Amino acid sequence: MKRTIQDFFKNNRKLIPLWSTAFLAIAAYLIGAYFFVGMRNPQVFLNLFRNSSYLLISAIGMTFVIITGGIDLSVAGVVALTTVSSAVLLREGLDPWLVITLMLLMGMVLGAIMGSFITYLKVQPFIATLAGLWFTRGMCFFISDNAVNIDNPVFQILGKTKILIPGLMEWSIKQGKSAPYITIPVVVGFLLLGVAIFMAHFTRFGRTIYAIGGNEGRNEQSARLMGLPVDRTKMLVYTFNGLCSALAGLSFSVFVFSGHGLYAPGMELDVIASVVMGGTMLTGGSGYVFGTLFGVLVLAVTQALIQFIGSLSSWWTKIVIGALTLIFIGVQTILKNRKESRQGVQPSKAVEAARKNRQRLLLGIGALVIGVVAIVVVVAKFWPSSPGETPASTQCDVKPFREAEAAALIKEGAAIVYHRTAGPECVDHLFAIFPDGRVTGSDGVNNFEKQNTPADVERLLTAISVEHNWFTNDIYSTYLNPCRQCYAHYIVVSFNGQEKAATGVDGTTAMPPGYAFALAEIRPFLPVIPLAQK
Amino acid sequence: MKKTEKARFSWKKITESRLFFPIIALFLILLFDFIFIPGFFNIEARDGNLRGSLIDIARNGSTVMLLAIGMTLVIATGGIDLSVGAVMAIAASVAGILMNPSALKNEVFFVTDPMYTFQPLWLVIGAALIVAILCGLWNGFLVAYLRIQPMVATLILMIAGRGIAQLITNGLRVQITYRPYAFIGQGWFIVPFSLYIVAFVFAATWLLTRKTAIGMFIESVGINFRSSFFSGIDQKKIKMLVYVVCGFCAGIAGLIASSNIKTSDSNNIGLTTELDAILAVVIGGTAMAGGRFSLLASLIGALVMQAITQSMYAIGVPAFALQAIKSVVVILVILLYSKQVRGFIGMIGTRKEETGL
Amino acid sequence: MSEPTQYLLQMEGISKAFPGVQALDDVSFFLKKGEIHCLVGENGAGKSTLIKVLTGVDQPDRGKILLDGKEVHPKSPIDAQLLGISTVFQEINLCINLTVAENILLGHEPHIAGRIDWKKMNALATDTLKRLLGVEIDVTKTLDSYTVAIQQMVAIARALYVSSAKILILDEPTSSLDIHETEQLFKVMTKLKNEGVGIIFITHFIGQIFQISDRITVLRNGKLVGTFETSDITRVGLISKMIGRSLAEFDEMSKIKKESSKHIKSEKLLQANDLGLTGAMRPFNLDLHAGEVVGFAGLLGSGRTETASILFGVEKPDSGSITFDGELVLDYSPLGSIKRGIALCPEDRKGAGIVDDLTVRENIVLAMQANKGWFKYLSLPEQYEIADKYIKLLNIATPSPDQLVKNLSGGNQQKVILARWLATQPQLLILDEPTRGIDVGTKAEIQKLVLVLAEEGKACVFISSELDEVLRTSHRIIVLREREKIAEFPGDVDETTIIHAIAGSES
Repeated sequence: MKRTIQDFFKNNRKLIPLWSTAFLAIAAYLIGAYFFVGMRNPQVFLNLFRNSSYLLISAIGMTFVIITGGIDLSVAGVVALTTVSSAVLLREGLDPWLVITLMLLMGMVLGAIMGSFITYLKVQPFIATLAGLWFTRGMCFFISDNAVNIDNPVFQILGKTKILIPGLMEWSIKQGKSAPYITIPVVVGFLLLGVAIFMAHFTRFGRTIYAIGGNEGRNEQSARLMGLPVDRTKMLVYTFNGLCSALAGLSFSVFVFSGHGLYAPGMELDVIASVVMGGTMLTGGSGYVFGTLFGVLVLAVTQALIQFIGSLSSWWTKIVIGALTLIFIGVQTILKNRKESRQGVQPSKAVEAARKNRQRLLLGIGALVIGVVAIVVVVAKFWPSSPGETPASTQCDVKPFREAEAAALIKEGAAIVYHRTAGPECVDHLFAIFPDGRVTGSDGVNNFEKQNTPADVERLLTAISVEHNWFTNDIYSTYLNPCRQCYAHYIVVSFNGQEKAATGVDGTTAMPPGYAFALAEIRPFLPVIPLAQK
Repeated sequence: MKKTEKARFSWKKITESRLFFPIIALFLILLFDFIFIPGFFNIEARDGNLRGSLIDIARNGSTVMLLAIGMTLVIATGGIDLSVGAVMAIAASVAGILMNPSALKNEVFFVTDPMYTFQPLWLVIGAALIVAILCGLWNGFLVAYLRIQPMVATLILMIAGRGIAQLITNGLRVQITYRPYAFIGQGWFIVPFSLYIVAFVFAATWLLTRKTAIGMFIESVGINFRSSFFSGIDQKKIKMLVYVVCGFCAGIAGLIASSNIKTSDSNNIGLTTELDAILAVVIGGTAMAGGRFSLLASLIGALVMQAITQSMYAIGVPAFALQAIKSVVVILVILLYSKQVRGFIGMIGTRKEETGL
Repeated sequence: MSEPTQYLLQMEGISKAFPGVQALDDVSFFLKKGEIHCLVGENGAGKSTLIKVLTGVDQPDRGKILLDGKEVHPKSPIDAQLLGISTVFQEINLCINLTVAENILLGHEPHIAGRIDWKKMNALATDTLKRLLGVEIDVTKTLDSYTVAIQQMVAIARALYVSSAKILILDEPTSSLDIHETEQLFKVMTKLKNEGVGIIFITHFIGQIFQISDRITVLRNGKLVGTFETSDITRVGLISKMIGRSLAEFDEMSKIKKESSKHIKSEKLLQANDLGLTGAMRPFNLDLHAGEVVGFAGLLGSGRTETASILFGVEKPDSGSITFDGELVLDYSPLGSIKRGIALCPEDRKGAGIVDDLTVRENIVLAMQANKGWFKYLSLPEQYEIADKYIKLLNIATPSPDQLVKNLSGGNQQKVILARWLATQPQLLILDEPTRGIDVGTKAEIQKLVLVLAEEGKACVFISSELDEVLRTSHRIIVLREREKIAEFPGDVDETTIIHAIAGSES
């Protein structure tokens, strides 16, 4: 028995990272299911795919890029740009299917542009795609400063349709739970996975992709000498990745039903981590698209575990992912260095050394995987778990600013309208200060009021406009994805015939100091809104 | 045998100097500002301190300038450090928590006394810098001894670093109210205090690299590490050193940034600054493949970046649209420096023949 | 005009110059159909340049190439491939992460129903290897799971199958093969020869040349020495054509040498006992004395550079020891050697010698500075002083010490490296091919310099493939053959004896 397992791994040495990732993902989930009753719900498992379908789609494209030895940092930007563009285009009334087509085309064009810089102008992929990231994120804000909602029915259907799993349906009805489902983006993701696997192993294009990467660029040279269309293939790889990014963006759009330039921050790192953990080496030349699926799964399971543990915050995800990536890269590099030093030795010795190395490798990977799972177990045991249900998401769903409502309030005579979102309690408060001293506040459910004197309001307005230069260039809009404790602000001031709106977020160096002072002046005027009862 | 010729004034010498392109770039931007932005060049003295847009450029650019100093050395060895933003956040977190450890007890404790600090200032700054140096040692170890690709090795800390920073402050934004600390980023002493810090670090690094053999060794390792090895240079130690210096610079930058916003905000401090730093070094003419470097050119590159940012704000370009403009600048600069384009420009002057064999 | 010709390939009057050196000077080379033709010559002889011209990597300054009587101008390796000229390099130009079948067929793989027909492809590859080369392996495994010998077979298979090669160039194919693999390769070559393929076989193993080749062309210093039928020449004859003394008269060098031999000290400066490194050198003994020049003679691949590397600490030996100046060497590293007083001027000028973007001054003081460490920085005036001193001493042609080394000619680059090592004031100076690719005048300068250094009390090791150089400058000569030290001779030994020693037991 041991022999056959050994033989299997000897013949398929390259598959080891893939299987260890798969093992890790499944083992981690099973351990989680042991400790947390909630995870035994099959819907929770299926939700892993639902929540990370956009990641999977993007990672599939990235796998090909990395196999050629390149990298693409712009994916997150393309995703964000896709969400914003599609949201705005839908708002303007374009046919949703046309929008989808346009978005995919846009992704391909962006990919092709970066690909040509990399292939023909010999710009390093890192720099070229970094520029692409900045460009696309920047373009988002040319299109729209704030989040734009998507309420197009086709998109709603694409996102909300529940595809039931035959077999599981009856079982869960017996249990008294609702039937488990997956969504369309998940199906799209798996379809794309199938297409990608076919491309990788059954087309000349796919084999050329493998031929280009690895061996520190010598393979690329060899591939050229072999007459393979290296340049064209590289261009196409980046174009395909652009397509995948756009598709991922669309999946994201139908998941959150809005578009904003700040969505998917840092996603490129998650994508790269998934690809690496799926067994693809960053140096290129080897890797399995199938493995990327498991890489994405590991990320999703880690996120789920941390949510279930509850007392840890979501930033632990980043640490764990970083640690896992490190382990995988470390093992990859050590293997590579070992191989290189081995090649200097006489052939007969090399064969013997190789066999020993493979045994050690097997043990090493096995130990590593067990070690990581053990850490997860310890962590899970050490921190008391919340009574096993999915807690309300610790991620705040930042609401877009209510610009339209604010404008309406100003028309009604308000001097200052202030919309506050995010923050530690993830709020959504809209305030209006009227010249007669009345201040209203609403959290979308209840209304509150506070009365100040008109003189106070007059003083407030003067302070804001004169001392803090509200109506000058000293005050301008800035915006960042709010941190967990940070509020996001939207203030409109109407005074002496002038009207100006500006956004800001706590805790950034970019926010003009005058803005913060204005906020400080406004705050005492506001009625207290108690936290929503859960 | 000819005696060594004295350097003579020639167009060639000026155009081939490393500082040429960066200074031209800076000049162009300031020219643009002069034409399109009234009052940009006004410098007024208030309360004995100089203020004005130009001063703002220098002040706001001090973090990028610091990062650029460290990044120049790393890039000169043929490497790269993507984790500087994360290291900034970590340093800021350490400083914040040492001044106000109440966060560890899960309180957001509003300290009202501006002279209150839990630990003395020297300990706060010292600990933060030591942690930053540890991060540099980590990066250096991965790159020099484990021979992991620099991009990959520093990517790890970039991903995990912010998580670590959050870990230190237990996930909260720690308010900084200690006034002497705030002086670091916000103080003025004729010119902003942070500029003195930059000047000091620049001088120290310059001394370290140009008044010792270290600068020459860094360049040698970056150009041809095998020849350097044969000549007896220990490239492992050199690489270790540059990552430590880079981490150290990132640590100081983190202190300045957090003192500016009076918070240690692990999520946002240093976000995207690593990219600005790399771009500053690229504008400064240090090749990404490694080799000769110029600290001064990188500083000017950082100023160019900041000047672009400031000018765009001044003419009303929204904050994130700026990113799109920066990306175009990156590509233009890369192309300008690329061999193809440089060769074309060089055809105007004399061509140097390549040696064969 | 095309005329019927017995020659498959005619290269006529090929000349190619690079700045500072004439790599090929009016060289002609003819290849018949169905023959194995060896191209031999030491490093710098022009072999690789000739092949580069033939395969389109470089364009000749003068001369023409005719294939089957028709003139051709290959502009790139792909061009050459399309013409039917394929090369199998020592460093395999294949994608080692792909399978054997892919490496043979990718670009021409069979398809079925819109996708790659793996079954057919594997069958085709297996068949090709068997039919054309008589090799049977599992073609579904990746190329890097096979030895270099097999990889070469795969490369040859691709050349034949995909490119229908008429001319097959094998560049040092046997360097990484053992006896059985070499036999296998020769069987394949014979088979191909009998099918009309013209094979250009580049090797430095004299025995193999005589085993397999039909004709031999010898190049030396960019010039054609001659083309010979293998059956018409002896080993000794061949070697003397390759490295033997050119018909130059005795010069004053021998007088200097006699004088300087008086200064040789008797106590050993360096003693190597059973020093060896598996795969590089069989264990050997070596003694070096201050004031002495020891020359290493032997062909390419005999282990000269490897020996130098071990002595300098670049490679760590796995057997034996070195005692230097009475002390046992424990730390093998370049820096350790420099501190001890050993210097190595390496053979690979570009890869291990110059730092091309640094100035002449910086290159010269580099090792000296490394010896001093990070903080004892030589001040700039000191550096200029040292640089000027050696520029003058070695007659380095450079407009100023601030000139980038990459802009210098090869000979002057060599001098800069030499200056670097002289500046470290070594007790033992190892020079590996210091005169390769350098003009005649500079060659003489350097040889004279070596003797002067010995006179000053240094020990020198002089490694060169030019036998007359070694004879001219050495007080003692060590002969290496196929990674083994086989003989030691006094400096006034005659050339024939050495050549016989290099040639081995057969004459």
